[in-house]
Amino acid sequence: MIARVIGKATLVFCAACVLMPLLWTLMNAFKVNADLLTPVPKFVFEPTFDNIAYVLSRRSVFGALYNSLIICLSAVGIGLVLGLPAAYAIARYPNRITREIQFFVLSLRFLPPVAIAIPFMVIWLNLGFYDTRLSMIVTYSLITTSIAIWLSIPGFQSVPKEVEEAARVDGYGPYAVFFRVALPVAMKALMGALAFSFVLVWNEFMLALMLTASNAKTLPLVASEMSQQGLNVPWGILNAAVVLLSIPPLLLLGLLGNFLNRAFAQKRR
Amino acid sequence: MVKHREEYLVKRNTCLMLSAASAAVIIAAQSAAAQQVCTSDLKILAQPQTGLATTESFAQEFRGLSGVGFQVDYLNENDRRARSQADASIIGSYNVYYVDEANLAQFASSGWITPLLDHYPAEYDFDDFDPGRRATATYDGQVWFAPITGGGDLMVYRTDIFSAAGVEPPKTLEELFAVVEAIHDPSNGIYGFALRGQRGSGANVWRWMPYFRGFGGEWFNVDGTPAFNSDAAVRATETYLRLFEYSPPGTRTGSWDESTGAFNSGQVALIVESAPLGGMSLNADASNVSDKVAFGIPPEPLTGGGYAHGFAIGTRGNASAADRDCAGLWIAWATSKENELRRLAAGQSGELNRTSVFNSPEFSEAFGEALPAALEATSAVTKVNFWQNEKWPDLGNRWGIILEELITGQRTDIQDALDELEAYAIQITAN
Amino acid sequence: MNRQSSLPFVFLVPTIALLAILALTPTLYALSMSFTDRSLFSPDFNYIGFENYLQLWSDRRFLNSAVVSVKWEVITVTGTMILAVGLGVLMFECASPRARNIYCLIFLIPVLLPRVCAAFVWKFAFHPLYGIVTYPYRAITGKPLDLLADPTSALMVVAFVDIWQWGFFFAVIIVKLLESLPPQPIEASRLDYARPWQIHFYITIPMLRAPLISLALVKAIESLRSFDLIYVMTRGGPGISTETLDMYAFSQGFIESGKIGYASSIAVFMLILTIVAFTIIWKKVNK
Repeated sequence: MIARVIGKATLVFCAACVLMPLLWTLMNAFKVNADLLTPVPKFVFEPTFDNIAYVLSRRSVFGALYNSLIICLSAVGIGLVLGLPAAYAIARYPNRITREIQFFVLSLRFLPPVAIAIPFMVIWLNLGFYDTRLSMIVTYSLITTSIAIWLSIPGFQSVPKEVEEAARVDGYGPYAVFFRVALPVAMKALMGALAFSFVLVWNEFMLALMLTASNAKTLPLVASEMSQQGLNVPWGILNAAVVLLSIPPLLLLGLLGNFLNRAFAQKRR
Repeated sequence: MVKHREEYLVKRNTCLMLSAASAAVIIAAQSAAAQQVCTSDLKILAQPQTGLATTESFAQEFRGLSGVGFQVDYLNENDRRARSQADASIIGSYNVYYVDEANLAQFASSGWITPLLDHYPAEYDFDDFDPGRRATATYDGQVWFAPITGGGDLMVYRTDIFSAAGVEPPKTLEELFAVVEAIHDPSNGIYGFALRGQRGSGANVWRWMPYFRGFGGEWFNVDGTPAFNSDAAVRATETYLRLFEYSPPGTRTGSWDESTGAFNSGQVALIVESAPLGGMSLNADASNVSDKVAFGIPPEPLTGGGYAHGFAIGTRGNASAADRDCAGLWIAWATSKENELRRLAAGQSGELNRTSVFNSPEFSEAFGEALPAALEATSAVTKVNFWQNEKWPDLGNRWGIILEELITGQRTDIQDALDELEAYAIQITAN
Repeated sequence: MNRQSSLPFVFLVPTIALLAILALTPTLYALSMSFTDRSLFSPDFNYIGFENYLQLWSDRRFLNSAVVSVKWEVITVTGTMILAVGLGVLMFECASPRARNIYCLIFLIPVLLPRVCAAFVWKFAFHPLYGIVTYPYRAITGKPLDLLADPTSALMVVAFVDIWQWGFFFAVIIVKLLESLPPQPIEASRLDYARPWQIHFYITIPMLRAPLISLALVKAIESLRSFDLIYVMTRGGPGISTETLDMYAFSQGFIESGKIGYASSIAVFMLILTIVAFTIIWKKVNK
């Protein structure tokens, strides 16, 4: 019984380890420096909205937010258009070739980002597309497509074959089966895969650092730049930038939790 | 306690806005007749300076002058150096770069920036800038940037701590050690001294060089071979490491921000830092010790590190002469006397560079007699400490990393560390 | 199902071709650059054969960064797995299904957080003077605690943040895996009065051996992406104590000297090592 109490206490402690630093950051976003830079942490203070206002008023932040949205959504869109059909083909036609393809797609994740970032930089410069949203979308679609394929295969595998058979008996061709049957049935699982790929590129840092200079800069870069400016910049502003950057991935929390539940519920069967 | 700087900024900015608006109306009226110099918004890469924020708040005025807006991207010093180097050499996404004494040779000799004065409107009076800074902005007979900040080194100390301990401001390095030892009291939150530990030719190496040069160190032997592992270098490094024992936490991996921040928040009794600290420490909005600081020149034999930072016209980012004129106009405007007076009014002494501003009644009113006198006196010991060469950034950064390893205790053999630097110097000077 | 259809070709060929182009072009380009003395600052370069690769072996910073990278992999993978298994079992044993769902959502948060943000949050939390983590130490001893400036602890602090991001996420997966196990063996051993830890140590964990190895492998692959954490928290410092291979390659190529040829050789070294190692391990594990 005592063990159980200790166990529960440990769980609560772990949850606090996750939530405390984040709540602390959120609080700091509403503090002035005098409340922030105190030897004893301050929990009661008079909130200020100047930090958030400053962050939102910077042209660089606004531009980066726009860039991040355009680049990430487009890359996820490409991942969807190219990745889902490929994942379906791999799921429905299991043979030696598709297994190799599946492994190839996974092995793309083995590539160290630095190994592709340096040459990509030179390539985009030579082509005249360096520091453009287009080049970032193309580069990121490498990530989104491979992740979308990898994570959607189980989703398509979970579509009962009988359902597809029935559709085929009704006279659907293989493409119609994909678009009208497999895709809608697997949709919920696929949303999670796409959400994961969105989070990955939204959070991506190293490629963005090397492949953009100013026009196509993404939000993680601007947040990191702000956080590196030193004490000359009020720390509250940095906290506000961090909060802004973290919101979109956290909005997807429910979707991703669901995706995991579904993935493992399927395993149980 | 650090004061509520943001609140202050907001309040001040509203006042400034009003005057900016009226100024903009006048200027817009003037320039309506003149031709528009600029066609598209300017991009500027800079490092954060409080005075620049003030200038930025007058963006409307520049729009009136030129017809376009501008965006300043801020990076910390080390990142600004790395990014501007990559950008100016192959990318060219910025119209104006923030350059400094240490990378001017590299930028100018590689053609990454364009000589300034061809595109600098004469009415902004370049010759009004402090002669020392003009000299630093000159390379190979040409002027390349208009200064935003600069100067030499200043010794700043706490009068309350000094009188409580009954010590006098040190005049020599021996006295410095004695004084620092006497007042160092970390258990009560008082540290004797503050240095920079963070890597970088403009960070830890910058503060180390006055010792190296002060002990008679030269970068090269008479025959032109590198002398980076000389006795002076060993002594300088030993001294630097010994002094670090009195430096507050956070400075071992920190730079200007951390060490001046520690001083301004009241943790440090004595500091030798770049001259803008003087005015900052007197500004009650940036400093908790504004009423108990005094100034002096760096103790013998330290040489003050003469420096200047400023804005230069990017070559790659400004294809046509008209583009360069536009960038030149922005530089002239941002470093104009009007903008310097605005910074002065806001108590931002670090970003002042013009003789006419230094000699103005507003200046002595704001900073009294002591600081101007100390600034005057320190210029006598100000020297160019670094090796003025395009290869200096590479070499200085290499030493910065090795020095950081020494400071944080990752390595201990000073001679071995300097031998490694020497080997690198031989390697890069060979080809 | 094996009816002849054009679908697999239409669905696979364009996608895989595009992925192959996007992945192979830069890799081959990196390989070719690694044989040059190319600099970021000038368009001219020479092919210098294996000189960059030979130079690597006498470069103490390269050797150091290889060691740091290996340390990083070992610390983060073992740390993540220990936290994940421990916490997964704890959730399985001590939390009601309802509470478990809430914990699972909470523990998903860290991995979703942009690494730049996680790095900043913890960097400030570990601040020697104002940090909330260092506060108890300051309050008790009256001294500041600067863990990120100490070469012996800096890597551990950065690794801690990485484990914080991944360990909780994997704990969620492990609890789902435990839930998916057949209940009979667990019930049987409970009737034998086995203690909970014995049940898990001798029965459930061995049953989950295969997925746990896969998880460790996934973590090892993801640990290669240490750059953002290190870049924001330490820049490879103090000194070179947290300088991993990718950080060093970036330093050489972009921060210090613009030697992108040399940086490419470091990147290629890393590339070959990881592809060979992970391909062998992955194929072996997924036999």
